Amino acid sequence: MSEKSWLTEVPQLDRHQLLDIRKTLDGAYRSFSREYGDTIEAFFDPLLTFLIWFEKLLLSTPWWLVIAVLAAFAYLASRSWKLTLGVAGSFFLIGYFGMWDNTMRTMSIILVSTLLSVIIGLPIGIAMARSNRVQSFVTPVLDIMQTMPAFVYLIPVVMLLGIGKIPGVIAVIIYSVPPVIRLTNLGIRLVDKEVLEAATAYGANSMQRLFGVQLPLAMPNIMAGINQTIMMALAMVVIASMIGVKGLGQPVLKSITNQYFTLGLLNGLAIVALAIIFDRISQSYAKRTLQSFEGK
Amino acid sequence: MRKILATSLLVTCASFSTTAMASECGQVTIADMNWNSATLIANVDRFILQHGFGCDAELVPGDTMPTGAAMIEKGQPDIAPEFWSNAMKEALDKGVAEGRIRYAGVTLSDGGEEGFWVPAYMVEKDPSLATIEGIKANAKLFKHPEDPALSAFFGCPAGWNCQISSSNLFAAMDLSSAGFDLIDPGSGAGLSGSIAKAYERNEAWFGYYWAPTAILGKYKMVKVDFGSGIDVKQFKECVTQNDCMDPKPTMYPPSAVDSVVTEKFAQRAPEALAYLSGRSFTNAQMNTLLAWMEDQQADGEYTAEYFLNNYQDTWSKWLDAATVTKIKKALLELK
Repeated sequence: MSEKSWLTEVPQLDRHQLLDIRKTLDGAYRSFSREYGDTIEAFFDPLLTFLIWFEKLLLSTPWWLVIAVLAAFAYLASRSWKLTLGVAGSFFLIGYFGMWDNTMRTMSIILVSTLLSVIIGLPIGIAMARSNRVQSFVTPVLDIMQTMPAFVYLIPVVMLLGIGKIPGVIAVIIYSVPPVIRLTNLGIRLVDKEVLEAATAYGANSMQRLFGVQLPLAMPNIMAGINQTIMMALAMVVIASMIGVKGLGQPVLKSITNQYFTLGLLNGLAIVALAIIFDRISQSYAKRTLQSFEGK
Repeated sequence: MRKILATSLLVTCASFSTTAMASECGQVTIADMNWNSATLIANVDRFILQHGFGCDAELVPGDTMPTGAAMIEKGQPDIAPEFWSNAMKEALDKGVAEGRIRYAGVTLSDGGEEGFWVPAYMVEKDPSLATIEGIKANAKLFKHPEDPALSAFFGCPAGWNCQISSSNLFAAMDLSSAGFDLIDPGSGAGLSGSIAKAYERNEAWFGYYWAPTAILGKYKMVKVDFGSGIDVKQFKECVTQNDCMDPKPTMYPPSAVDSVVTEKFAQRAPEALAYLSGRSFTNAQMNTLLAWMEDQQADGEYTAEYFLNNYQDTWSKWLDAATVTKIKKALLELK
């Protein structure tokens, strides 16, 4: 063994050292989850109550009312009858093919996750835009969040919080928050220096500059970020259902294991429909805010 | 010209296969299925075939359906060491009838064990929890993660065969009127994660699981008695069927877990076949080994070496004295 040279063999920890490291870290995590699991669970309780309440609200609302509200949103955001009719039509079809309840469940998770992503993402994005040091620290973290395979952190989260909605929402947020952070940062950094100087010349302090000038001018970029966040959240639906999140992901999983192609396709299409609807609504809203700026 | 070439090729091929016959076992491929007990057995087989029978044994990745199909259609891989044969019973029986494959022996002597389980520490506190009646009476113990008004029963992940049987039994025993909600854990990892979480914190847990698994080796669980005995007919005709309208309670019958080999392999290596037909594990042994494997985070090869080093009484019964000596020698060389 000792004759092997480091030139020909990759220098490697021996099996026992590597095992020791793995076992120590795993043991540490286990005792951490035993020690603090209940506290952390209690911390998330309000969110869980809200999630359950919101899901029940969507499920118990009559279908025509849900469609009407969604269509109204679509119209208010886009002022386009075509989009509004498309939204109403596709939701009607989703219900007609028996996917209403699952779609409502998925929608509630996605909406709450997006809302939380925006609440978490905007301040981080602003902080990144204001300080290069924060940016150089946050960027690699975002890279990890976007590329780390979801199962790597899903199962530890399950150990800590059990299966169900909360770990699902956490997984979805980890994956989908980076775009809103990145694009908020980018949007604010792209605001014209001269505009800022003008604002300063008029005596605006830094808060006034942020809320009066930078954020409004960055709005199209931020909206694009939110739009991407929604898309990525929807992409996580199937993964989240692997830890017991109810919704459109479960029938997809079921169809994968049983090779029920039609069932998979129908539920997959329902996810696509949700994605397109959210995408069009948020994009046309962004476009209209941009237009209203340019119109001024 | 072409014909001559073809014939000569055929002749060469034939002569090759005769030389293979002469060296007995020759090259053997073993399906290394993607779950722990199967990969452990595959590694044990590889070691024993290689060092005991002089085979040139090699592991190839596998999974129940693709491996079964490939063995029947293509005659490759040669050995599937842990095959849950109920999963593709019809195709296997057809393969046997057509003389393409052969059941070499029983891998798990107790058979695969399924059931509804509760943690042992709960039963120690209240022995009535080992029966379904006791569980129904104490439904309040099993807190639902999302709805305080309900109790939780962790079912089988979406799309698995056991999802049908577990939900039918859930209905048969009328667990929902006792306040239980059937939770879909989404994946095997989700289900085992929920057991691990409950066990680490001494919480209540009630749900479907199966053995042999590392989880049941590591976390002592008690199989809940339905008070019905095993009704194989009811189980086959109703409980496992999707369209079963009126399921009746029955315990899970043990499912057959066999070693399946290709007919070609069976004919060219009768001695190795004899080993495979004698080689079997009990569930208790397997659970312990799997728990060790998970605790040590060992891979199949390492665990196989551990098994061969520490469980000589078990495996020496599968082999004749001369082969046992060969294996022991090979084990010494490892160190």
